Amino acid sequence: MLLALLLCYAGFVALCLSLDRHHGELLHSKPSPRRRLGLRVGGWLLLALSIWPAVHMAGWSRGLVDWCAVLMLSGLLLVLLLPYRPRLALILAGVGLLASPVAAFATL
Amino acid sequence: MKEGFRQAMAWLHTWAGLIFGWLLFAIFLTGTLSYFKGEITHWMQPEVPAHAVDDARSVAVAQRYLEQHAPTAARWFIGLPDSRDPGLSVMWQDKIDPGRRGNFIEKMLDPVSGEQLQARETMGGEFFYRFHFQLQMPHPWGRWLSTIAAMVMFVALITGIITHKKIFKDFFTFRPRKGQRSWLDGHNAVGVLVLPFHLMITYSSLVIFMTMVMPASIIASYDGDTRAFFNELFPATDNAPALGQPGKLLPLAPLVEQARAQWDGGHVGRLAVNNPGDVNASVNVSRAGSDRVVHDFGSTVSFNGNTGQLLRVSAEQSLPMAIGGSFYGLHMGHFAGPLLRWLYFICGLAGTAMIGTGLVIWLGKRQLKHAKTGVMPFELRLVEVLNLASMSGLLIAIAVFFWANRLLPATFAERSDWEVQSFFIAWGLTLLHAMLRRCRRAWIEQLGLGAVLFMAVPLLNALTTSEHLGVSLAKGDWAMAGFDLTCLGSGLFLAWAAWKMQHRSAVQPRAERARPLTLKGEVH
Repeated sequence: MLLALLLCYAGFVALCLSLDRHHGELLHSKPSPRRRLGLRVGGWLLLALSIWPAVHMAGWSRGLVDWCAVLMLSGLLLVLLLPYRPRLALILAGVGLLASPVAAFATL
Repeated sequence: MKEGFRQAMAWLHTWAGLIFGWLLFAIFLTGTLSYFKGEITHWMQPEVPAHAVDDARSVAVAQRYLEQHAPTAARWFIGLPDSRDPGLSVMWQDKIDPGRRGNFIEKMLDPVSGEQLQARETMGGEFFYRFHFQLQMPHPWGRWLSTIAAMVMFVALITGIITHKKIFKDFFTFRPRKGQRSWLDGHNAVGVLVLPFHLMITYSSLVIFMTMVMPASIIASYDGDTRAFFNELFPATDNAPALGQPGKLLPLAPLVEQARAQWDGGHVGRLAVNNPGDVNASVNVSRAGSDRVVHDFGSTVSFNGNTGQLLRVSAEQSLPMAIGGSFYGLHMGHFAGPLLRWLYFICGLAGTAMIGTGLVIWLGKRQLKHAKTGVMPFELRLVEVLNLASMSGLLIAIAVFFWANRLLPATFAERSDWEVQSFFIAWGLTLLHAMLRRCRRAWIEQLGLGAVLFMAVPLLNALTTSEHLGVSLAKGDWAMAGFDLTCLGSGLFLAWAAWKMQHRSAVQPRAERARPLTLKGEVH
């Protein structure tokens, strides 16, 4: 579940950054169209990818339930962090992405 | 035309949400608590000690007790303990009377020593579970009302999605400290982010009661005999009748192991032994609901109690049953481990918060118009009072329920009923209080009272039992410790909310004046 959480969270952060308003708030600049597209595609890919560890760990029926729960939780977490601790929200995503290979190695 | 449709949907969302919001808030909150039904029961019966779970030992202990105390019973039931609720329950029925259900004798045993426990009488977590779909009403009415509320919730969800103009653009938007705007942001954020849960929980609740709500197809196919439908759906285990010759029942623990082998190591929920003292004794071992997401209503393995011969393994579920079972399983979350259970709990709280914020928005929007004159029309005052009693009042009532559990003497007759009574008395008093006090004062006072009651729960537990946090944490009794800590956390949250209310009321007038103009176009 940890790996799925890390991937979901990073995916949501990427999708969030692909929106002009949040990009401006978090990075103080407007994203270029290429970057916007890259973030959007990357975000969706990460979200799709996160299904795999969840299902791999717990089978389809339970894995999908786990995945949905993690998906909702990571979204809630990000939305709650954004207004209060925007830097932390970004740092968490970075750390999460860096840690995900380790988590993958440890759990899969 | 498009705008007209959206406005119509917004109207429906607003009014369906208001009329059923109070009830739905209570249903969601008590339903959310039901995810920790076992843990709540454990806390409310501190006399039942927590032990490491060992099915073989529990079964042996139960069998020994029943052989001593009910050798001639017609049927035994053994409910095995799990890590969430450590009580080993044994029940027996002296004579099977087909016309009557019940007449069981139930005892609670210590799963290690086998001694009968004198646990205080309480409904425990079962109260919240029952309340969330029966609403403490006589039999069919509560179920009907809660099902209608679920239907309205479903309508409110769909219309809410249609009304919400910028789901993707505002997906990550939450702007705190902006008054009415923040409430709407919060309402949208929890609504959209936790939408899969909301849709699942609401739709599955309708599926669970589908035979009650839409019986037409059953009535048509079975000539109005709904019982025949259920008999066919859940065939009674046709165990052989007693022969009247005394027999010797085998030890049950090896049979349990055999049953588990049939389920690839699945867990056992309970055992039923028919005619335990007879040659024709039979043992039905039922699988625990916590094994799989898809709930199976009758997964059992039957043995002959004297020879140990395997009699029957229940068939695989049919596809429609599996679909129904998966909605049931998803709604109940029996399969969830500790982590997923907490996520369920958080999702439930998010749903409760969505309903609560919706009610606050309805009132806040209309109150702005009357802010200048300072005179509130009757209907707004009514909504305000009901908001107060249904939200902060319910929280106080829940806390009082827990307090009553510890303060009513353990030997007091009908104490279980009195716990429930005190819940409703407290709820009624908060309604009275809401009527008598001015709005903001009432919020601060009720939230403050709730905070004190919840924060003091661990203290109360320490004073009245020997299972305080120091003991339960040291023992690793996470159900007990988790309950205390969650109450403490809830209390702190309520205290923060009360403080926020108090703080805001001081700076309110200036901030309020600047807002109404910008808001008009945005609020749906």
